[in-house]
Amino acid sequence: MTDALYEVRNISKNYGAVTALDNVSMKVRAGEIVGLVGDNGAGKSTLVKCLSGVHQPSSGEILLDGQERHWRSPHDAIQAGIETLYQESGLAPQLSVGANVFLGREEMKPGILGKLGFLAQKSMDARAHADLERVGIAVPSSNRSIAQLSGGQRQAVAIGRAVAWASKIIILDEPTNHLGARQAGEVLHVMRAARDQGLGVIFISHTLPHVLEVTDRIVVLRLGRVVKDAPTSTFDQESLLGTITGLIAD
Amino acid sequence: MAASAPAAHPKTASRLRELVSNQTFVLFLVWIAMVVFFTAANHIFFSSDVAGNILADWGPLMLVATAETFVIISGGIDLSVGAITGLSGVVAAFAMQDMTTAGQGATLTLIVGLLVCIGVGLLVGLINSLLINYARLVPFIATLVTLGAGEGLSIVFTGGAPIGGGPPQAISLSVPWLGPFSTPVLVVVAITIVCWLYLHKAKFGRYTYAFGSNSFATRAAGISTKKQITKIYMLSGLLSGLAGMFFYLRLGSGAPTTGAGLELDAIAAVVIGGAALSGGVGRLSGTIMGALILTTVTSGLIIIGVAPNWKQVVVAVLIALAVSIQALRRGEGKAS
Ligand SMILES: Nc1ncnc2c1ncn2[C@@H]1O[C@H](COP(=O)(O)OP(=O)(O)O)[C@@H](O)[C@H]1O
Ligand SMILES: [Mg+2]
Repeated sequence: MTDALYEVRNISKNYGAVTALDNVSMKVRAGEIVGLVGDNGAGKSTLVKCLSGVHQPSSGEILLDGQERHWRSPHDAIQAGIETLYQESGLAPQLSVGANVFLGREEMKPGILGKLGFLAQKSMDARAHADLERVGIAVPSSNRSIAQLSGGQRQAVAIGRAVAWASKIIILDEPTNHLGARQAGEVLHVMRAARDQGLGVIFISHTLPHVLEVTDRIVVLRLGRVVKDAPTSTFDQESLLGTITGLIAD
Repeated sequence: MAASAPAAHPKTASRLRELVSNQTFVLFLVWIAMVVFFTAANHIFFSSDVAGNILADWGPLMLVATAETFVIISGGIDLSVGAITGLSGVVAAFAMQDMTTAGQGATLTLIVGLLVCIGVGLLVGLINSLLINYARLVPFIATLVTLGAGEGLSIVFTGGAPIGGGPPQAISLSVPWLGPFSTPVLVVVAITIVCWLYLHKAKFGRYTYAFGSNSFATRAAGISTKKQITKIYMLSGLLSGLAGMFFYLRLGSGAPTTGAGLELDAIAAVVIGGAALSGGVGRLSGTIMGALILTTVTSGLIIIGVAPNWKQVVVAVLIALAVSIQALRRGEGKAS
């Protein structure tokens, strides 16, 4: 219990009459990849949004480093070192790669110009390029707009941004969607590298072989409840699928 | 990693292609063609007097079109800009009338008038943002509400008549002294430059584009979208209030009808300038040309003796042209 880096205890979340999350508890340790799986509508994305500050849970606790936290907005969670890749696009297509990587934490020009609100665009472009390369993601020049990139390149930028800024937790909601086999392999590699740096990683995916390959532990959600939370080594593809669909008893 | 352009040759070619598909440049050519056409039709068109008139029309339109540029790039719309122009001019006219009757000096009176215009503009802008952020109205409805309320108040306050009786020096401020440029027009030019810098080079503009491009992503990136909306609509109000003062200086009075329909011209200028109503796309340089073309057409048609209603037809054609250029560019996958 005490070694959890990021933890939720008994959180629930309703959308009007719909109960998307019902008393969900889960945690992730530093240097661990936790897989979060479940059928469509199981509540995975809702849990992600509670973890990232987009939603406030109706009840329950969120703890970072053992301390209870309340995220009023994504800003709070980002400040605390939590980076999230959302299932829906988290990029602004009309902005450049560099502008997206730095969105919300722009670097300002030095001196009086910076105080007046002017951006250090050249420096951000160069740093964005270096950050994405360091993460192992090859993207074209920083001043191209996201709209000019392929689906795979866009996903690469979104993942690169999350990994580059995360200092504690990185949450990836279906990051390998729309990716080819090689690119998906790169994403798994990026996740392992983040884990090896001591980050806590939460990985949501429908591609069970990926989940079985890369995670240390798997949490299964069904209809808003956690039905299983066990080390990855205790699953095989068949038993994992059975747990997700409910064909195997909890 | 794709290497950047290897030689100078392809670079020049792509520069050229960029220039041709550049909305501002195309509009500049259209504007030149218009000037040539109107001059050929009546040589009087090509004079400092006419240029002065066009600029005097351009000034207030540019102010509200600049406001509309920020709003439309953010994915919103502000229908209240014309109503704010009228209301601020009327309220300021009352204040300046009172001060003049009380024997206050012209300079102080005009400064107070300016501040009243700014205050009215900021206040209506704030109301717009509150309606959007907290009453959860979409911008179209929120600003339709303030458009109606603003126009209604202007008429109630004035009974429909223009309010004069301010300092007589007001009008003389609108006389061109630098070629066709008057002091208020020069002020508009300066404001436009500052707004260009803030739209294209500063964090405020960056967040405006980001919000219009993907509001979820903007909020998810930790940006307060409510604050950004408040700033954008207050800026819009402020610029519209300044347009109210511009008209006051030109006419020497504040009338409730002054800003009527101005929002449509402003939106037309922005759309002709290449911005997309869906948000995230647009340049202030395009709006500058859009506003200049609209005011040039208005003056030109009058001078060559064409019924002014033709202006609407020309504007409609220009909007259709501008939007098709945009659609073509989108086909090439080119973002702003
Ligand atoms: N914004 C929303 N408003 C209303 N209901 C929602 C919203 N988002 C998700 N839901 C509902 O909550 C449930 C969980 O959805 P979600 O978290 O997206 O599941 P998953 O990511 O596992 O597919 C579903 O029943 C879904 O229809
Ligand atoms: Mg989902």
